[in-house]
Amino acid sequence: MSGIPPFVRRAVGRVVLALLAVGLIVGVWNLVIVAFGLKPYALPTPQSAVSAIVHRWSTYQSLTLQTIEETAYGFGIGAGIGFLLGVLMSASKTVQRLVYPALITSQAVPIVAIAAPLAILFGFGLLPKLVIVAWIVFFPVVVNVLDGLAHVDRDLVNLARVMGAKRVRAFLAIHLPATLSPLFSGLKIGATYAVTGAVIGEWMASAQQGLGTYLQTANASLDTEGVFGATILLTAIGVASFLLMVAAETVATPWRTRSTARRGPRSLLRAALGSSPDISRRKGARRWFGSLPGAALRGSRSQSPPPPR
Amino acid sequence: MNGRVTQEHALAKVLVDDVSVRFDGTLALDHLSLAVGRSEFVSIVGPSGSGKSTLFNVVSGLQRPTSGRVLLDGRDVTGETGHVGYMLQKDLLVPWRTVVDNIVLGAALTRGATRRDREEAAALATRYGLGEFLHHYPHALSGGMRQRVALMRTLALHTDVLLLDEPFGALDSQTRLDMQLWLLSVYEDLEVTILFVTHDVDEAILLADRVAVLSERPGRILADLPIPLERPRDLDVLTSAEFTELKREVLRLLHDRAPAVAP
Repeated sequence: MSGIPPFVRRAVGRVVLALLAVGLIVGVWNLVIVAFGLKPYALPTPQSAVSAIVHRWSTYQSLTLQTIEETAYGFGIGAGIGFLLGVLMSASKTVQRLVYPALITSQAVPIVAIAAPLAILFGFGLLPKLVIVAWIVFFPVVVNVLDGLAHVDRDLVNLARVMGAKRVRAFLAIHLPATLSPLFSGLKIGATYAVTGAVIGEWMASAQQGLGTYLQTANASLDTEGVFGATILLTAIGVASFLLMVAAETVATPWRTRSTARRGPRSLLRAALGSSPDISRRKGARRWFGSLPGAALRGSRSQSPPPPR
Repeated sequence: MNGRVTQEHALAKVLVDDVSVRFDGTLALDHLSLAVGRSEFVSIVGPSGSGKSTLFNVVSGLQRPTSGRVLLDGRDVTGETGHVGYMLQKDLLVPWRTVVDNIVLGAALTRGATRRDREEAAALATRYGLGEFLHHYPHALSGGMRQRVALMRTLALHTDVLLLDEPFGALDSQTRLDMQLWLLSVYEDLEVTILFVTHDVDEAILLADRVAVLSERPGRILADLPIPLERPRDLDVLTSAEFTELKREVLRLLHDRAPAVAP
């Protein structure tokens, strides 16, 4: 056992805990059925819901793909609009004061209420569903990006000014990376809500079958196994979206989880300089100090720099 | 109205000429003038709130003075940024940039960092004992190492004037002493002009060619004391009779003129 690296052990531990959590849900579900003597048409067991998914997979497959498509595209559009709006609003206080009340109003409007008019406006194809999903997703993204940009360290921004920073470069090097963590908080919330948006869209404006429309027809015909099968799949899509965002965040913000940068082209430089400090001290440093305007080496103290602490 | 620029002052590397700064009716700096020669190291000490940081903000161009001018090499740079290196007590390392990428930040923010910039940064870091940490993120470094990277970043700007605002103030005393000796060796290596704000009288004297004592708010220069200690300096300076005499003088200036300073 001691041969297993610690990060593998940690990962296994987390998977075991996650499976335990799922097991707990399944257990409670079964317990409720037994305790209250529920009939299968009222509440099927999780096992029969899963077996419904397996047996009807040929039906579910295209439904699932349809819903995933709506969720993914809508999420992409909403996240993109949200990010751009956040950046624009942070750039100008006037734009912010103008747009913010409208944003809040947009979220206060019951989404179900405007879903029907959206169908009239955009027809019964993919478009109204994308609008609804994007409508739900963009808000947490705007709010978090705006927050992130507002909380960039003022001293760091001043330091950039002292360095004579160009506006665009300062934005790319300092402001943008500072928004990544809050951005991903927004994306994680948005990703889990996006599925709900897709289902509402399908209920209100669907010619094409998705898991949402299937849910509706199954419910109408008291096919509870079908209802719970679809629900489990929708939940899985939501959880998977969330996990995808967590993974994307880990890749996009390596400094939060790692102590050194990933080995890339620069590792060549490291190999050239880091592993042969004597050479670099003699050649590189001399060259560097020689290139300082008006700078020259004075005295001989430079031969013995103090040891690192 | 016009500053009193003498012949000697006109040759100064940095000339703070009759600068006053007023914030909402409070006078932070009161007709302050200070001339710093080429490659000179000037420490600035004074009670809290005496406007030391305001002075640096004016020199760096972040804060436009209510009146007065700032000259660099005789050129008026009042309210212009991008001419001097500035370092604060907070290291302000960018968390998502590695040591090398932090050192080249100045280049990255202005013209884009080149491979050459990175090589220089790596050489600099290696030379000053951070060779094994070139690709570490700041959170993985100790406080002393972080301040060292921050100073290298300031050096890598290739400006010949550095403003250091209590750069070692947040470090433990052992690390601080190491950093002071390290800064001495860096300064003695390079021909840079340094203005150094500190609360620590020992630090001010150990490092500087001159110690300027600021008054309580509104800040004025109370005294400008030459430090004739021989360079290169090392630890022994701290316990010499000459040092003690200078320290007594600075403490007397600080204490006599600022009896109301908070404990």
